[in-house]
Amino acid sequence: MLLVVTYSRAARQTLRNACEAHEETVVRRFGRAALFEETEFGAFLAVRLRAEYGVDVQVERTEPLNEFETVPDEVREAARAYADREHASTPYAKFATGDDHPEPAAMKDREL
Amino acid sequence: MRVDDGETVRSGRVVDARHLDLSRTEVVAAIRGDAAGVTVECPEPGPAHERVGDVHPALSVSIRGVLAAAARSRGHTVPQDDRIAEVESELADVTVPAASTRPARADVADRADDVERLDERVAELRGRVQALRERDAEADEAEAELAAAMRDLTEAQTELIAARERHDAATETARAARDARERRMELEDRLANLRRAAREALADAIAEEYRDAVAAAPWATPADPFEAGDVTAALAAARVADLCAPVVLSCDHFADPTTAADWLDAAVLRL
Repeated sequence: MLLVVTYSRAARQTLRNACEAHEETVVRRFGRAALFEETEFGAFLAVRLRAEYGVDVQVERTEPLNEFETVPDEVREAARAYADREHASTPYAKFATGDDHPEPAAMKDREL
Repeated sequence: MRVDDGETVRSGRVVDARHLDLSRTEVVAAIRGDAAGVTVECPEPGPAHERVGDVHPALSVSIRGVLAAAARSRGHTVPQDDRIAEVESELADVTVPAASTRPARADVADRADDVERLDERVAELRGRVQALRERDAEADEAEAELAAAMRDLTEAQTELIAARERHDAATETARAARDARERRMELEDRLANLRRAAREALADAIAEEYRDAVAAAPWATPADPFEAGDVTAALAAARVADLCAPVVLSCDHFADPTTAADWLDAAVLRL
């Protein structure tokens, strides 16, 4: 999908108008951002905003994340274990040291 | 005021210029100090004049908006004013880096095209060299061409990698620059909200006087002054406002220009 985020009031207003006029191409709207279908028309809407407002419009291409394909096992397992932790108040950093899960700092240094 | 269209000079608190061939836009421009084919000497118009200083049948006004302007002309202030000034100065301090990624994006695409084109050329030449060799034909020239194309391809690939790196760097810079843009938009939103609240408060401050003005109009007006038409609303707001510059009147709501000036408590230039 195409993620369009606006950074000025004028660009945001034009995005809103575009979303209202082209509901079929809009997958989701979030205030000053929207997800468009990844079609030529979705690209047209996004590029048209970018052409008008330049850097005030950010366009990203998104794809679903399949963690089984992309995320290393230990990270996935850590996430799962942390979601099931006993005490909701335990911060991950502390949880990780106790149970041999990857350190947050180490994970931050590694690109996916 | 003193009105001079180059032929006739009229002066006084009330000028009836109906028989002169003056255009409304020219007269209003002259009052507001813009170049025009007519001269109007009068006190500086304040911001309220912009809203209610030119009353004509096709006028379109927001009642709360003109009331706020009228309240300002009377020196009313509202609690939001300080905050508005603060946000305006914060906004003036926000510097937003340009950080366009457009050249970098276009460059990557161009380099990728080059690589693709040269890739095809190398494949084609390779095929030709092989065909020549299989036929035991002279292949030196084709081999030289192939070698040159491969060198070009390597060079283009290197340039593509460099272009991608420049694009990544530009994208990072643009992301950082968006923090400032986000901050600017937040401030602009806050300013718009404060201005709206200030406008409402200002309009409330003189709503009663406006109600009385509408009721005192010498023409038929609705019972609810906020249902009044644009011209009635503008005239009532003008009556409430403190206007130094003459009101340009192009409507038939008053018996004569002097009555209008008395009712509005302002100088009147009747067209």
